[in-house]
Amino acid sequence: MMNSKLKRSLVFWLFLSPIVVVILFPYVVMTITSLKSATEVLNPTWWPEELHWQNFSEMWQTSGIASALANSLYVSTLSTLLTIVVSIPAAYALSRYQFAGRNAYRQFLLVSQMLSPIVLVIGLFRLVANAGMIDNLNVLVIIYTGFNIAFCVWMLQSYFSTIPRDLEEAAWMEGANRWRTLRSVFLPLAVPAMVVTAIFTFINAWNEFVIALTMLRKEENYTLPIRVLSLVAGRYTVDWHYVMAAAFVASVPVAILFAWLQRYLVRGLSIGAVK
Amino acid sequence: MQRATAPYFLILPSFILAAAIILWPLKEIVSLSLHDVNRFGMLREFVGLEHFRVLFADPDFIAATWRTLVWTVCVVLGTLIVSVPIALILNEDFYGRGIARILIMLPWAISLTMTAVVWRWALNGESGMLNSALRDLGLIGSNIQWLAEASTAFPMQILIGILVSVPFTVTIFLGGLSSVPDDLYEAAATEGAGRWDQFRLITLPLLRPFINIAFVLNTIYVFNSFPIIWVTTQGGPANSTHILVTYLYELGFRLGRLGEAAAISLIMFAILLVFTLIYVRLAMREEKE
Repeated sequence: MMNSKLKRSLVFWLFLSPIVVVILFPYVVMTITSLKSATEVLNPTWWPEELHWQNFSEMWQTSGIASALANSLYVSTLSTLLTIVVSIPAAYALSRYQFAGRNAYRQFLLVSQMLSPIVLVIGLFRLVANAGMIDNLNVLVIIYTGFNIAFCVWMLQSYFSTIPRDLEEAAWMEGANRWRTLRSVFLPLAVPAMVVTAIFTFINAWNEFVIALTMLRKEENYTLPIRVLSLVAGRYTVDWHYVMAAAFVASVPVAILFAWLQRYLVRGLSIGAVK
Repeated sequence: MQRATAPYFLILPSFILAAAIILWPLKEIVSLSLHDVNRFGMLREFVGLEHFRVLFADPDFIAATWRTLVWTVCVVLGTLIVSVPIALILNEDFYGRGIARILIMLPWAISLTMTAVVWRWALNGESGMLNSALRDLGLIGSNIQWLAEASTAFPMQILIGILVSVPFTVTIFLGGLSSVPDDLYEAAATEGAGRWDQFRLITLPLLRPFINIAFVLNTIYVFNSFPIIWVTTQGGPANSTHILVTYLYELGFRLGRLGEAAAISLIMFAILLVFTLIYVRLAMREEKE
């Protein structure tokens, strides 16, 4: 029995290896380059002769990534909180009430999820520019919230529907009112779903590109993706070892978070997609 | 009475916010596309469909439209073809499955911008590691300037597009596969059905709704995808790798042709609406079954 599982594992890994190699390739390049010395970067060897850990500290001082990190944290955290605060009641309404317009609202969410920021960026830019709010990070918070609501309500609703109603009904029978039931029965059960959804919302905001590229003009306001791109775009000489070190710092923490949580996404998405 | 109004109060804040962020800019875009606009966004006289007429006479726009079609079809079909076997394997029980899942999901966890920046470096003509890897394997004799020409840059962008779309698609398929009851396979096996027959007669039909949904959602995401092309080539050289989204951005924010950029936005909006209707119909059909 053991033996056949071992054989199967080998065959499966053999099948998966080409795609795994291609997927890992850029990230391996990123890691290796971030550890090369300035002279060795232009020489495409696989293993650096000496590991230049100081790239990270030098990059930290010269690239302005610290302020970008702070901006990204500020925008992502605030917009995640705001998104969650407005999405929880909406998701609760969708999963616990039957009301006229329920389906219309769900379809509105679906349509708004289809529209990516890029299609609306011209109009958004005009509105923000007319209000004189270019370079204002709070504008980014509001826009990210608007675009994340659909995903968030959708995910929360699909999780909420899996929480059995019986528990709440039992509490009503015991004489608890709706609000009390909500607070002491429903919300504690819903906490894991809220945390998971919040983290995915955070990652979406953390990685957003086109709105930040358009709305932020001053370097000190850049978020991480814009800062890293600015180290590459429109320059005659690019310090690739610093760029790769910056990309490493910008992506690895989020990647670890994501790897840890991805199984919840499988569940939430598949429930949401069919139910 | 209170029960009847409660759900509306609950959905109101989210509705107002989402509607403001979507409908308000949409209104701006409509008015931009119908007026003469200077490059600072000042509206001048009403010009009707003039911007649309200019666009359809613009060879770069027509080329970008065709390229968007090629881009979307290649990335979406490529993704689906690669993702089905991966999902089937990841659904089996084998040593290292947890690690394999994480590795396949990795591109989803890292922002598209970072992935594209890293690829831009890996594809560098002189010092890029793709060239040195291919040379070490003996596949090419001399360095290729990947991003200097559309004929090599665009296929590479499609490849990157496929790689970053696989995780989401595999996730959808895994969700679908987990709903296939095991006893169905056992019954088929006792009837003498081989592995291929089991796949063809049980797995594929049960996976079909998930393939449909992954197809439509991927089409929408890929159609809208901006960072890969913008970061690697910015639509260049000589506008030869533009798709609609990057051309829209170039017109609006580089060349100051806001009216035409708004017109492209509306054209894309119309196309997306069609995709969305298809998706809603598919999703509703699932719900009924």
